[in-house]
Amino acid sequence: MRSYILRRLWQSAITLVGVSILVFVILRVIPGDPAKMLLPEGAPQSAVEELNRHLGLREPLWVQYGIFLRSVARGDFGQSFQYRSPALRVVVERLPATVQLTLVAMLLTVVVGVSIGIVAAVRQGTGYDYAGTVLAVLGQSLPNFWLGIMLILLFGVTLRWLPTSGFQGWQHLVLPSVTLAAFPTALVARLTRSSLLEILNKDYIRTGRAKGLAERIVILRHALKNATIPVLTVIGLQIGTLLGGAVITESVFAWPGMGKLVVDAIFFRDFPVVQTILILSATVFVLLNLLVDLLYPVLDPRIRYR
Amino acid sequence: MHEKHGRAMRLNRRQFLVGSGAVLGASVLPASARAQVRRGEIVAGLSERMLTLDPANHYSISSTSVLRHVFDPLVEVTNDSKFVPALAESWHAVNNTTWRFTLRKGVSFHDGSPFNADSVVFTLKRVRDNTKLIKSFVYQDIEDVRKDGDWAVTVSTKRPFGSLPAHLTMLGMLPPGAAGQEDAFFQKPAGTGPFRFVSWTHGDHIVLSANPGYWKPGIPKVEKLTVRFIPELSTRTAALRAGELHVIDRVPPDMVATLKASPGVRVLDIPAIEAQRWHFQLAKEPVKDPRVRKAVSLGIDRNVIIKDLLLGYGRPVVSPIPPGLIGHTSLGQKAYDPERARQILRQAGYQNLSIDFVLMKDLYPKQLEIAQAAAAMLGDVGIKVNIRNLEIATAREQRSAGNYDIFFSGWAHMPHDPDWYLGQWFTKAGAEKLTRFADPRVEQLIAEGRVPDPRVRQQKYEEIQRILWEEEPEIWPYYSVAIYAISDKLRGFEARRDYYVLLYDVSIG
Repeated sequence: MRSYILRRLWQSAITLVGVSILVFVILRVIPGDPAKMLLPEGAPQSAVEELNRHLGLREPLWVQYGIFLRSVARGDFGQSFQYRSPALRVVVERLPATVQLTLVAMLLTVVVGVSIGIVAAVRQGTGYDYAGTVLAVLGQSLPNFWLGIMLILLFGVTLRWLPTSGFQGWQHLVLPSVTLAAFPTALVARLTRSSLLEILNKDYIRTGRAKGLAERIVILRHALKNATIPVLTVIGLQIGTLLGGAVITESVFAWPGMGKLVVDAIFFRDFPVVQTILILSATVFVLLNLLVDLLYPVLDPRIRYR
Repeated sequence: MHEKHGRAMRLNRRQFLVGSGAVLGASVLPASARAQVRRGEIVAGLSERMLTLDPANHYSISSTSVLRHVFDPLVEVTNDSKFVPALAESWHAVNNTTWRFTLRKGVSFHDGSPFNADSVVFTLKRVRDNTKLIKSFVYQDIEDVRKDGDWAVTVSTKRPFGSLPAHLTMLGMLPPGAAGQEDAFFQKPAGTGPFRFVSWTHGDHIVLSANPGYWKPGIPKVEKLTVRFIPELSTRTAALRAGELHVIDRVPPDMVATLKASPGVRVLDIPAIEAQRWHFQLAKEPVKDPRVRKAVSLGIDRNVIIKDLLLGYGRPVVSPIPPGLIGHTSLGQKAYDPERARQILRQAGYQNLSIDFVLMKDLYPKQLEIAQAAAAMLGDVGIKVNIRNLEIATAREQRSAGNYDIFFSGWAHMPHDPDWYLGQWFTKAGAEKLTRFADPRVEQLIAEGRVPDPRVRQQKYEEIQRILWEEEPEIWPYYSVAIYAISDKLRGFEARRDYYVLLYDVSIG
């Protein structure tokens, strides 16, 4: 097991270096000039050149990458072109908002999604099942943007039960996390349902029932544990999506998260911020998926790593 | 239902108590203190994120507007475009290349240090010498900044710099103590402005508190000002309608009806100092040919655009320089005559023309619909228009490379003076990677228009515009209208033509 973890960590390191090179090169190769984005539209070409020089963008690509790697080793991810502040600080400032939103959305996804999935599977063919399926289809097809604005209009403007936007107290978390959780909840619900249905037909379930075990124990202790393996995979992938893909929700709710930060940084050609976020996200993603993989043997003793 | 009713009742009782308390209290206070009663908090929602706290390190209308609350400039501009004293009590041009500013006495920075000539010398030399600063290129023409005692400064320039006072309306004065420790200074900046800096969350909001020792009496009128940055339009308007914001800016025409129908909300609009401009690539066939440009101009019904797409929130253009800036004049309105357009193209031998119209995605309200309308109109006169709605950075690269025929752009006053617009877009060097405009007569006039004497400048700019009106290197489809929406609790808010949202003499009712 230890050699497995070490091997995986080594692979992760190589992946991350690859990601950093890819991000670095792509940013500098696509059209778009950071100095032009910072200076006003009619600024003279000489000012553009001067600023690009200051930003270190006139060196050869490999020199720029070398400088970048050396700085990263010291924990310095460069200065944000937009904010003129250390890029790492700008990104880390967004971390609390991002983490809170992601955690709450994930919590909703797991609790609500799995519950709906269980009810739909256990009551297969009944009204509960159909209702669950309809909810899941809605969750996967309603656009985030539309759902968010509708929630704001209903709960923020008309009813005034909740704040419309911003990041201040727990009430501010409700609408954005519901909006963000809609799609993954639906996905998890459907996956849980189908996964559970498949298992409920297995022999060992029939045995458990024959033994006289309560239905609740059969479902929750025996069936669910096995059904959650594919669900866990999806949840692990969804966290990555939630972290970076929350940009629409963040835009709608003026939520100061990393999703919006990275999209704005891309539009602005703020290379240091884009690099910082992509590399950090890749790191989190890689480590999280490693964690998920390590959880499998806990759930299914048949799975062993060598 | 019950909740809304209860809240309304509670507010009324609170309002009554506060009101009567204020009346009782005010009648006991001496006159001067009465004038300075500050109360409440204003929360503003702006569409553009502020990126820096350094007045010299940005060229954004929105950031200028926010930082104006913390920093005072030497010169201020009123809503009817007059330059009035701020930290400079007076100024005049000693000769074509020298300005002299006499400074206001008795002003202090928020950190207690005094404002005087040292501050002006430091601020100006800093922005000129530190070429990393975004505004630096504007001040390269400054030769020297010398203090004349503690209360006067002489600025000498390399060539005539008549627009210097206008540029200075956007440059807040800094204390010389910031020198050598600018990073630390801008963590908690100190200006001389009506509000002190409290905190700033990048890209989210900034909190300011009243400066009780501000040099203008009775200002500010509130204790606290929070500015939130909410680029998403529906969210910004929802927050206003829900009572979370007191003022929002950059309201597009099609939101006006919804906002007017919302209780507690008022919509204000005013013609803006901004002209939309669709500029041609003057080195590229076919728009290189003035006859083609003329046909394009005749083929666009600008009034329909204003009436139907902007819902009346636009004004017909009568000169490239909009009203409110020196040089504005009246050259009549451009005609809409599709038959003549077709005739011109026929006579010039053009058939099946096809041109590329490049847009910077989502930059201007309704720009895609307007471009589509223009494309349809031009299709009627035999010009096929391919609309390329590109991401901003890519669009600008394409422009530098010359890959466009018409480019959808705009020009808002900055800095309340046309010299910069003309100097960049209508000189050979400036336009090289933009429109490829080159006309020695215009170039000469622009140079002559740089002198401080406003009468000379007006005359030169009028001449320039007569040439441009004839040559049509650009289409100027309309002047914009600035639309704001405010809570009816706000008192004394002025809808500004320059898109600034200034709240220091606004109170909460």
